[in-house]
Amino acid sequence: MDPATVSLRVALRLAVVILILLLVQSTVMLSIRIDGVHPDIVWLLPITAALLDGPETGAIVGFWSGLAFDLILPTPMGLSALVGCLLGYSVGAAANAADRRATWLTPVAALLGSVAADMLFAVLGAIFGQQQMVQINFFALFFVIAASSLILVLPVKRMMRWALLPDGDRRSMVSASSTDGRSW
Amino acid sequence: MPRSRRSRRTLTVVVLVVLSLTIISVDLNGRTHGLTSGVKSVANTLFSPIRGVVVDILSPIGNFFAGSLHYGSLQAENEKLQATVGKMRAEQTEKAFQNAQLSKLMALQNLPYLQSLSTITAQSINQDNSNFTSTITIDKGRSAGVDVGMPVVAAGGLAGQVIQSFHNSAVVQLVNDGLSKVGVTSTNGVVTGTVDGQGPEESMTLDQVMPLTTLQKGEIVYTSGLDASEFPAGIPVARIDKFHTTPGAVQETITVSPEADLSQTLSYVDVVQWTPPP
Repeated sequence: MDPATVSLRVALRLAVVILILLLVQSTVMLSIRIDGVHPDIVWLLPITAALLDGPETGAIVGFWSGLAFDLILPTPMGLSALVGCLLGYSVGAAANAADRRATWLTPVAALLGSVAADMLFAVLGAIFGQQQMVQINFFALFFVIAASSLILVLPVKRMMRWALLPDGDRRSMVSASSTDGRSW
Repeated sequence: MPRSRRSRRTLTVVVLVVLSLTIISVDLNGRTHGLTSGVKSVANTLFSPIRGVVVDILSPIGNFFAGSLHYGSLQAENEKLQATVGKMRAEQTEKAFQNAQLSKLMALQNLPYLQSLSTITAQSINQDNSNFTSTITIDKGRSAGVDVGMPVVAAGGLAGQVIQSFHNSAVVQLVNDGLSKVGVTSTNGVVTGTVDGQGPEESMTLDQVMPLTTLQKGEIVYTSGLDASEFPAGIPVARIDKFHTTPGAVQETITVSPEADLSQTLSYVDVVQWTPPP
């Protein structure tokens, strides 16, 4: 298959996945509240992309999905994109150092990645003048984010696999060689 | 790992980080904020109908389960609300004359008065889109006359202020948001200060009140409407819960709670068509 066709197809599928998660986040997730906190599934996109296709794809998916979520959030535009990009790259780089076939990798990456991303989001927000972002109940936030990420990471990973690897094609979104030839 | 691939990865991330920081800078800069605000407005205009369809599909299912689980409490709540509405109607009739007199007095003092201002009733369609802010999204936007800076009131008092206005929706920053600041005064003018939000889970504080000011627990403070105030005068904002004077402090330590009931999901609010004087 022509690589350009693959990229366009991947981009379109990625856009569909991002839109679906955006809808789920702004409807279902907002109605689930524990101690005033709701799950944030946005971080699962760069995490699963990085696990499937390496740090570069993780960073790209994190940037675009974060930017899409920034459009509906009252927080500064670009903040989710920045955190998503750094999260995707970090998870991908960490996964490269681990055994990608390990069953523990996906849940651990989802749990640690989501919690770290929320912490980074709050701290960067405060640095950019949004002091209220560090005035929240972090214990409840981390609990809800960790629990929801653990539950939802597998369905999101399945969707991401559909988007990044159409018809079982293992060609990477960014290039054929960027995943170090490791198996998923 | 080949060096060229590692360099390309690094370059990609650096470019994306720089791009993100540029977007943040553009958004936070007052002169260029209109650009990102416009993009958000277009995106919300496109996204809202799609979201509305999903909500329309999901709501009946959710309501069915919620209703069947809480039927008894919902019935009791309905009866209680009907009793409250009846009582308020009676009070409204009694107060009509007093309000007319008060309006004349306020006009004489050249102060803006809420009941002389037109309002737009809006329904809350989302609460706290982000875990890090205390906001609601309402179903009225610029097309209905809702603009950035307009005060928003709910049952009881001031709920917040419009911070983003799109074509058919708007985002309201609630008074308990960490960035919210409202200039207030008491009825007798003894207390003058600023009600500061401390985040959704924290009590609000009343700041800039001189030490040893005579205060009363339960006293209500209202928007001051002073020069350059962001709110018209006379809207109930908060009620004093606790206060004490710390030795050597430059101000009283006062904890207040919002008069508008923000603990419940705000179903309907009124947007006051009032913008701060230039």
